[in-house]
Amino acid sequence: MSALPEKLAGYRETNLIDPFEQFVGPLYETGTGIARRYALIVDARHVNMRGVIHGGMLMTLADMTLGQAAWDACDHAACVTLSMQTQFLKGVRQGDLLEVTPELTRRTRSMIFLRGDYHVSGDTVFTASSVWKLLGQS
Amino acid sequence: MDRPAGIPADAEIASTGGFNKYVGPLYRLSDLEDGMVKRFAFAAAEHHMNGAGTVHGGMLMTFMDTSMSRTSRLISGAKGTATVSLTCDFVSPAKLGDIIESRVRATRQTRTIVFLSAELVCGNRVLMVGTGVWKISGGE
Repeated sequence: MSALPEKLAGYRETNLIDPFEQFVGPLYETGTGIARRYALIVDARHVNMRGVIHGGMLMTLADMTLGQAAWDACDHAACVTLSMQTQFLKGVRQGDLLEVTPELTRRTRSMIFLRGDYHVSGDTVFTASSVWKLLGQS
Repeated sequence: MDRPAGIPADAEIASTGGFNKYVGPLYRLSDLEDGMVKRFAFAAAEHHMNGAGTVHGGMLMTFMDTSMSRTSRLISGAKGTATVSLTCDFVSPAKLGDIIESRVRATRQTRTIVFLSAELVCGNRVLMVGTGVWKISGGE
């Protein structure tokens, strides 16, 4: 693996499995298990023609990072997204470092509730809350 | 340019640059209900998938956001709009090769805000429903 940029000191590259996540990645992480923090460097592929990150890329990042946390929360059992609520607070630009530490709101036998505040340099720029279903649990 | 099977030959390309072009191509289809319903489509390809063999939720939400953002500009006539809030419910999965279509309608438009609702379908099957709020740029 090539050396990480200086702003990613302490991070390592996340092992992405899904083809779409590999297509929009790389993603970086630090810490272990569900307490991991994730980071994305916004590059030319992620922005719209005004140089601002595409809402879809933010929602994809939410699905990737909250999905990873959901997977950690259910001991790596299969789970799927049921619902994702997102709010776009501030524009994010090419070169920005986006960071999030997903928060487990509640876990039941069949459902997982997760949320995340996405930051750039300490500013909250995007928030997401989500509901996940564990497959095979009624 | 050739269109994938299931996309009309005269469908206009809606992904002309940036992230839309990177994940696309995305197409605009003809309106329904005298222009009240705006429609877009894409063909699910290998790079849109997740490890479980269905279309990744991020791609479905990206297509939802693009379809609704484009509609917010079409109906308001504004040059720029920005997504403020978007909720997506994952109703059923899509698979490789599916032609995924969005149908977007406006709930209300004010001077500065557009309220939209939409669904993604594959044939008669609903894949995702979405509701959201768009801000018209240059407003207050």
